[in-house]
Amino acid sequence: MVQRNLWQTLILLCSLICVALFVFDRGVKSANSPIQTPAQTDAVFEKAVRPFFANNCYVCHNDERLTGDLSLEIFKTAASLGQDRATMELILEKLNAGAMPPAKMPRPKREDVAAVTQWLSRQLATAPQKKAVPLDAAKPAEINPGHVTARRLNRAEYDNTVRDLLGVDLHAADDFPQDDSGYGFDNIGDVLSLSPVLMEKYLKAAEKISRTAIFGVEPLKPTLVRLRLPERSVPNQMTPLTDYDLTGLNLPNAIHTTYRFPVDGEYVIRASLGGERPAGSEPIKIALWLDGREIQMVQFDPAKAASFTDASERQALGGMTQEFRTKITAGDHWLAVAIPHLYEGLPASYLGPNPSRLPVPPPRVFKPPPDLTPQQVETRRKELEKHRAEKLPANSARIKSLDLGGPYAVTVGPSRQSLSKIYACGHLDGHHTKGCVRLIVEHLSHRAYRRPVRPEEVTRLTSLIADVQRDGGSFEEGLATAIQAMLLSPHFLFRIERAPLKLLTVAAARSLNQHELASRLSYFLWSSMPDDALLAAADRGRLDQPAVLEAQVKRMLRDPKSHALVENFGGQWLQVRKLESVKPDRKRFPEFDEYLRLSMRRETELFFEGIVREDRSILDFIDANYTYLNERLAHFYDVPNVQGPEFRKVLFAADAHRGGLLGQASVLTISSYANRTSPVLRGKWVLENLVGTPPPPPPPDVPNLDEAKIGSASSMREQLEQHRTNAVCASCHTRMDPLGFGLENFDAIGAWRTKDGLFPINASGTLPDGRSFDGPRGLESILKGQPDAFAECLARKLLIYALGRGLEPGDDAAVKTIVKNVGTEDYRFSSLILGIVKSEPFQKRRRENPR
Amino acid sequence: MIITGKRLPRRTFLRGLGTVVALPMLDAMVPAFARRANLDLKAPIRMAFAYVPNGIVMKDWTPKTIGKHYEFTRILKPLEAFREDMLVLSNLDSHTGNALGDGPGDHARAGASFLTGVHCRKTAGADIQGGVSVDQIAAAKLTGATRFSSLELGCEDSRTVGDCDSGYSCAYTNSLSWRTPQTPMPPEVNPRAAFERLFGTEDLSLDPQTRARRAKYRKSILDMVSEDTRSLVKTLGPGDRRKMDEYLFSVREIERRIANAEKDPRQITPTVNKPAPGIPFEFPEYVKLMCDLQVLAFQSDVTRVVTLVMGREGSNRIYPEIGINDPHHPLTHHRNNSEWIEKVTRINSLHIELFAYLLGRLKSTADGDGTLLDHSMLVYGSGLADGNKHTHEALPVLLAGRGGGSLKTGSHLTYSAGTPITNLYLSLLDRMGVHQESIGDSTGQLKELDGL
Repeated sequence: MVQRNLWQTLILLCSLICVALFVFDRGVKSANSPIQTPAQTDAVFEKAVRPFFANNCYVCHNDERLTGDLSLEIFKTAASLGQDRATMELILEKLNAGAMPPAKMPRPKREDVAAVTQWLSRQLATAPQKKAVPLDAAKPAEINPGHVTARRLNRAEYDNTVRDLLGVDLHAADDFPQDDSGYGFDNIGDVLSLSPVLMEKYLKAAEKISRTAIFGVEPLKPTLVRLRLPERSVPNQMTPLTDYDLTGLNLPNAIHTTYRFPVDGEYVIRASLGGERPAGSEPIKIALWLDGREIQMVQFDPAKAASFTDASERQALGGMTQEFRTKITAGDHWLAVAIPHLYEGLPASYLGPNPSRLPVPPPRVFKPPPDLTPQQVETRRKELEKHRAEKLPANSARIKSLDLGGPYAVTVGPSRQSLSKIYACGHLDGHHTKGCVRLIVEHLSHRAYRRPVRPEEVTRLTSLIADVQRDGGSFEEGLATAIQAMLLSPHFLFRIERAPLKLLTVAAARSLNQHELASRLSYFLWSSMPDDALLAAADRGRLDQPAVLEAQVKRMLRDPKSHALVENFGGQWLQVRKLESVKPDRKRFPEFDEYLRLSMRRETELFFEGIVREDRSILDFIDANYTYLNERLAHFYDVPNVQGPEFRKVLFAADAHRGGLLGQASVLTISSYANRTSPVLRGKWVLENLVGTPPPPPPPDVPNLDEAKIGSASSMREQLEQHRTNAVCASCHTRMDPLGFGLENFDAIGAWRTKDGLFPINASGTLPDGRSFDGPRGLESILKGQPDAFAECLARKLLIYALGRGLEPGDDAAVKTIVKNVGTEDYRFSSLILGIVKSEPFQKRRRENPR
Repeated sequence: MIITGKRLPRRTFLRGLGTVVALPMLDAMVPAFARRANLDLKAPIRMAFAYVPNGIVMKDWTPKTIGKHYEFTRILKPLEAFREDMLVLSNLDSHTGNALGDGPGDHARAGASFLTGVHCRKTAGADIQGGVSVDQIAAAKLTGATRFSSLELGCEDSRTVGDCDSGYSCAYTNSLSWRTPQTPMPPEVNPRAAFERLFGTEDLSLDPQTRARRAKYRKSILDMVSEDTRSLVKTLGPGDRRKMDEYLFSVREIERRIANAEKDPRQITPTVNKPAPGIPFEFPEYVKLMCDLQVLAFQSDVTRVVTLVMGREGSNRIYPEIGINDPHHPLTHHRNNSEWIEKVTRINSLHIELFAYLLGRLKSTADGDGTLLDHSMLVYGSGLADGNKHTHEALPVLLAGRGGGSLKTGSHLTYSAGTPITNLYLSLLDRMGVHQESIGDSTGQLKELDGL
């Protein structure tokens, strides 16, 4: 202890060179010998490793400070460290990368570092793959595929499974409590709990879903919903524009929203209008857009509608509404109401395009009330003249809010889709012989439980039907009750992988049975149950043939249902789900509106989906020279020649600033604060999601940035650099901040900028290992220069998601194999997915360790 | 097990149509329970917790003087009208929220320890382990007395991705209430869903006979699935078995609620209209709606234990309603920057104003021989005192309501250093008729609360 304190003091006091003289250089020789006996191992540890830790590491990584959650002080013997693979790997990684000791600390001698890294490498090579578990001791060579706890269907999986099982798309899970997430994903078996609240909702949902499947959508009373949206400020434009978005969708005068429609039916969309048009303007047009397509356009003449304002002076739109009535299918839709050709039809005096052909209305005759004094009359006259002389902005007309009424004219009766999924036997219109009952129930429960069902299971369900019938209910009533029971069964709600009874006492890993494998596949790629083709392959026992498995995976990736992978895996990996809840400061970023938010999200979804469907290289995530844009986003990115609200693939010019995920506004927005960018958050985002080396959490009581100063007294970079003079902070921030600096040209909602406040942007960065770069494209080429690091990062995330559990040291070998194969297959997306599907952890399972 | 087509479930499937026609469990309008109908019985005592995240600016919270006649500080000012209905309790600790060797993660620990007094296990995933919270201890003991043993409400959507705080699972920050050390009770954040949970969603346009029949089917389905599960459990390992135990517990809980509803055929008309779907846009409006639901739940005596999470620990909510566009959590790390402290103080004050709204509603609602506030005990507080430094000692704590006359209100009390907040909970449980040996790190009952 005395020695440590002395060293601590010295390190703090001396300069780099001063300390380097004291660093031990003993032990290097013995470390060079190829094979070590345990005694030698201990000797090297005593002579080289532990003193190295003491001299270079204990100052932060001691039992009290626990910087980065790590103390090296606790490793007093070679054996104690030798058992902790994870820590050894961590130290090795940091030393090899030159990331430790942190830059501000004295540098150890190269040969001292080498002595330690050699010792660690040797330990790692010889030490057992994981902590010895008695049960595994018999077969140390076997990879441990790990245990996956029974997984409850999460909300997305529940909805998708119900849709595919019964053809019912009610989104019942919208009412369920939020699923907790672990390891970054919300499908982790151990973490997903089942509270009484959820059970109550399951009960309710099961009844509603089963009745909808059998009898059709329950009659819904039409209701009125106000779609509340933050109103956008419309900056006054006094002279009409000639070059602007004619659809009006990109202008702040339009309104955009998404809404989940409960059932197929007719809905009324009522737009409340606002603003004013100058007297003598022609009627405006108002257009309703659904999912990026214009579906109705009407003419609206404010001069003809009742108003408190005299239309010969100005046309006031405030308080006026325009209704649309249209058929809309159940599910999520993107609704927009816009004013097309906003700057047309204005009075000729505005000198705008296509001016109004209506005569200028004659000025109102001034008729003062009779009982005014001459002075008062004069005041009134002046007020009126002033009012008349005041010129209205050319763009004040706007859509203020939307109300939604409905549903009306709902289709009655069960859908054809539901009927064909339910009635495996007999006529679709409901005449079923007694012989059909068992067949129908067996077929349904086979699919609901995603495995063959035992005859007694079918019997229990059919007896439920019989009971209802005995009670006077119809067969359909009984069947609905049976379906309700299936939807509540643990065999439906959970994905349980059960070892056959005789294997329960054996610790050995076993391959999954065919149906368990089919379920793993379909929930991985579709977040839903296996479809008939996959189930049939499992029924026939063919999924263990590599060619069959491969063909199934490729088929599933091409299927539109693989959108679930984009939405659920992609949304959580890239964290773009957060986009729903970000609230950029409205004052600083007035252009951030719903349309932009929706467009950002769509871009990243389409980008990911393109890589999946076209089986492109996963390195496209880093530096693709293309993306998907609509006019709104193209305008925001300053990309020319993209017109209209529909998205299309756009190639970037060679000198473009953007490319890959790091140029997408979605990612740039969710990794920023509401009012400013954060190189730290962005750097962390890159490390976590693209490089796979997340920094440890910050210690408590860290000083924060002085926000008031940013952009006025000092640049963000200066502030952060000051922050990094603290050695403890520096150890992580030298890794995070430079990455974030590379993205500083993008503001907190992802728009390009060259200045932050008063200061020009400096987007260069130097990594701890000395490599430097400039700007986002420079950062991308650095990342692209280590493709396997990215591939491993993505492989690990996908494996967690596919297995529904956190990774363990036993999974490392599998990850390495996957990454190696992806590299030989041009990093194609399907090769990554296939690598995961064929890996031991995916194909096998082990029984839990008994406690 | 021999299963034949003729076999009937445990609770015989049909006792003949029309014999047991109970109200369906999700039937509208919840009955108050029979024991309330016994005239002249004292009104029951209710217990509630309101949580605010990220600590408080303590210099503007703690009154300068002890005892009666203390001066209301800037943050507490909105509560002045309730001086005689409340206590300010200073110097209570939640020691178990400290790192204790676990490194960063004070926000997660603050939330997880506040009602449990237990130091939660640091994990981002599989093996969460907290403690049983005071509200759930009360709920477990009061099971059967009301339709719901407890109600958990929240005003911040827990839609979060990844670790919530420095390697701590989101379960710790999402839920203040824990039924078991492994089972958090996530709050309901959707007002309409909370309303429907209390007062049902059933379509009243259906004829009573159909409704009764469906209720009966529900019961037999629950019978069937729980039997299925019991036979399934035998073939599973411990982790899977734990999941199935959770499932079975939940099924039994639902069965119990059905049985409770059957006991009392009376109906109550809620005094609050069913909220619109979705979450109110403005935060104050949102919290007030949740408060209204809480008052309604107490008023109709469908539960006596409510926990309201105004914000999740570590919350990054912005408060544009009061002109604050910076996220809450970073603001609390103000490093003594006076502008930031001012903003945090305004957030703290807004929360207190909303709490005052809740107290006002309780006070204006008649209950038995007094008001709901007279018969309630509400703890308001945060698991952190100084959000800048992450201190878990000398927490901001208020106790409002008179606990049916068992609390001597109107003072500012302060306790000797090291007094765990769980001692307060023990004393409150006592008043609920729940005599508990200890909770988490408690060391005994809190003195000076007695009105006797």
